[in-house]
Amino acid sequence: MSFKVIKSSFLSTMQDYGRLTHGEHGMSQSGVMDEHAYAWANHLLNNHFNDAVVEITFGGLQLEVQADTFIAVTGADLDFKINNKTAQMWRGLQVHKGDVLSWGNPKSGVRAYFAVKGGLTTKVLFDSRSVNLREHIGAKLTEGDELPCKGFGEATYRFISPKYIPNYNQDITLRLLPTYQFNEFSVNQRDLFFNQNYTITNANDRTGCRLSGAPIAIKKERMISEGISYGCVEIATDGLPIILLKDTPSIGGYPKIGTVFSLDLAKLAQRQPNTKLRFELMSIHEAQKERKKFNDFFEISF
Amino acid sequence: MHNIVSAGENSILIYFGDKIDAALPEKIGNFSNQLKSALSDVVIDTIPSYTSLHISYDLNKISFQVFFDKVENLLSQQDSADISVETQTTHIPVYYGVEVGLDLERLLAEKNLDLEAFIDIHTSQSYLIYAIGFSPVFAYLGEIDECIQAARLATPRIKIPAGSVGIAESQTAIYPSDSSGGWNIVGRTLLDLSLNNPKNIDKFRVGDKVKFYSITRDEYLKNGGEL
Repeated sequence: MSFKVIKSSFLSTMQDYGRLTHGEHGMSQSGVMDEHAYAWANHLLNNHFNDAVVEITFGGLQLEVQADTFIAVTGADLDFKINNKTAQMWRGLQVHKGDVLSWGNPKSGVRAYFAVKGGLTTKVLFDSRSVNLREHIGAKLTEGDELPCKGFGEATYRFISPKYIPNYNQDITLRLLPTYQFNEFSVNQRDLFFNQNYTITNANDRTGCRLSGAPIAIKKERMISEGISYGCVEIATDGLPIILLKDTPSIGGYPKIGTVFSLDLAKLAQRQPNTKLRFELMSIHEAQKERKKFNDFFEISF
Repeated sequence: MHNIVSAGENSILIYFGDKIDAALPEKIGNFSNQLKSALSDVVIDTIPSYTSLHISYDLNKISFQVFFDKVENLLSQQDSADISVETQTTHIPVYYGVEVGLDLERLLAEKNLDLEAFIDIHTSQSYLIYAIGFSPVFAYLGEIDECIQAARLATPRIKIPAGSVGIAESQTAIYPSDSSGGWNIVGRTLLDLSLNNPKNIDKFRVGDKVKFYSITRDEYLKNGGEL
């Protein structure tokens, strides 16, 4: 059972929930950028929450099906087609040996997720199938690669009601927890941070997302390096925020004003450059309550 | 004493001090081990670094407040319950030559040192591992003699070859794999520290020591070194 890469693309990589237990070895968390679309892709196929998928950034990928199975595609609308005919996203679909799956130019969003019944079973590296190019762990998909998977059990035709499918074209507000050096920024500087519209720049990848806007003042530009949380917002020497994402180094030495709530980072993962973005405060209790509800629904547990 | 702050919806950061101190890495490493055994059902991962310990925990099982209290409680018992882990010293062979030490010539001129004196200083002491990060197996070692300290490059290099030994301010380190970076490169080791050998993930631990020794150009070349 497998899928064959017949045309590679700008950036398509294997990802799962992430490499969560190797921070002390200096490894990034890695894993899918949009946890919401990823969780749905596996849920639609009744997979385990940590099953590996292909994260397709900006399209261009073509795969050939080597044996009949069930698949689901979620996330960005990258003009997904089966045998050159537009195919449905956000639902379980049966595919047959010889079918060609293709992703073209982005219509909305940035990253699509391709999941297979039972998960793709590429090599596990340091307890995860997530590829991290910066760390030389795994590689991006290239022509000729075979993506192995398990055989399928029961048929799966689950789908999502259209009203739950996110719109990736809207400007976003990211909810921020007051963490790290939050209290070391003056009240005026925090007001400036929360009361402005930032813009997502082109410097925006799996490592981090740099924003443009009015700079805020910082007392100290560098500090002793410390452990980094997914989603923390570093204020660089120029006073502008960088949101640190899945492939960010495990430690860093810039002051951080807070940490973005994980499910809002999923929304950020689908925003293209020039999208407007604001921050608002969120309490840790609210964040934990909302995330726990999400984990319960998708059966995410460690 | 200790200061604990939230670092995210499922993580906290404990500060054990506010300046770099050679006594801290071992203390932080010990506490990390103690925490992982005492709260193994809820702790997901720890990241020790210089003066702090980052901890992520399972928010499905425990709330911020309860976790925070448990950690505080453990911290208050820590001083009496120090479990000392034996520290190890790893010896690293380095060819200090201008062909591989991309910044060596400039540094020697700036520091007014000849090569022999530079090598003597860099190899004279065992360095403490203060943190692992930036990339896997990248160990931050300190602190180097003031005579050979140097600021990071204004413009980082796009590609530094694997095995390069660098200097940045009071720290020194080895690049385990090809990488971009802004440290001053003074030599290269042939030791494979990359993840091509998966066992390397445990090569360095915070609190352990590293000592460099010099090899000649001939030894470097004979063992497969490239210039």
